[in-house]
Amino acid sequence: MWLPLIGLIIGITLGLLTNWRIPDEYSSYLSISVLAALDTLIGGIRAHLQNVYDENVFLTGFFFNIILAASLAFLGVHLGVDLYLAAVFAFGVRLFQNIAVIRRIWLAKWMERRQKS
Amino acid sequence: MKKVRGNDVILSFVCLVLGFMLSFSYQYTKEQTAKRNVTDRQWQKEYEYRQLLIQAQEKNSKLKKQLLKKQEQIHQIEKELANEQNAYTGLVKEAEQLRMYIGKVKVKGKGIEVTLADASYIPSEQNATNYIVHEQHVLKVIHELLLSGAEAIAINGQRISHRSYIVCNGPVIEVDGVQHAAPFVISAIGDPNVLTSALNIAGGVKDQLVNDHVVVKIASKEEIVLDPVFHTNHD
Repeated sequence: MWLPLIGLIIGITLGLLTNWRIPDEYSSYLSISVLAALDTLIGGIRAHLQNVYDENVFLTGFFFNIILAASLAFLGVHLGVDLYLAAVFAFGVRLFQNIAVIRRIWLAKWMERRQKS
Repeated sequence: MKKVRGNDVILSFVCLVLGFMLSFSYQYTKEQTAKRNVTDRQWQKEYEYRQLLIQAQEKNSKLKKQLLKKQEQIHQIEKELANEQNAYTGLVKEAEQLRMYIGKVKVKGKGIEVTLADASYIPSEQNATNYIVHEQHVLKVIHELLLSGAEAIAINGQRISHRSYIVCNGPVIEVDGVQHAAPFVISAIGDPNVLTSALNIAGGVKDQLVNDHVVVKIASKEEIVLDPVFHTNHD
């Protein structure tokens, strides 16, 4: 249980400590990747709470979503269409939905516990 | 147990990647926003200030042009003033000269003095009028002097002008209402050489006067001072 937390902390410190910077034109890729990662993570949590969590789905989803989002943005830039907006929209909507589901599950659990006690 | 551990490793790796991306993105965005920290409002403000600046500059250039114009005008006016002043000084000089000619001011300069005196008794002439100085003699001298360029003339110290008259009045002559008796001293300002030679021409004024038994004395003077016309010393 402590290992993922340690990994998170190490990741954050690494990100804060890196001096390497990406060029301006790739900033949209970065933002969309972050969004994809967040979405996958929240989706994973939701799946876990709904007891449909699958390690492989989560893992492939995490990396695949990041790469897909980045490549979509790349394509959009080269086609002259702001496709990364579509990604942002899709991920954003899903993020909110997942968070809403998580909240409802937690609320149901909490109500159940209160009724028991 | 082993599977759980593997799960944990993978999950921690995912978390590492996520944490890295999050923090990296955060830092990057912070840097970016710090770099171009210009909001729309600031843009607008800048635009307004720019506009103001442009207006001020335009006004400035306009005023500068006006200033240049005014300076040019002033220059012109100054020039005109200088010209006018020149003209005025010229006029003043001219007026002074003219006053000298018409005898309104005291004048002095080089000149000659012609003295006409009655002859002493001449036995061959019975009539006394034949050997006294007449007004025509004086007139002749004065005409000759004027013709030869005398600038100012006076009889016995009385300045004569262009409106003067000389009349015979018995044994004396009257100049502008003032009586003068012989001898008559005619002072004339002008080139002494010219005046003297004009009077001395053979058969000229001097000879005629001498023929009329008038005693003529001509003397050059370095300085003759003549009073103005109406300032006479008669009493």
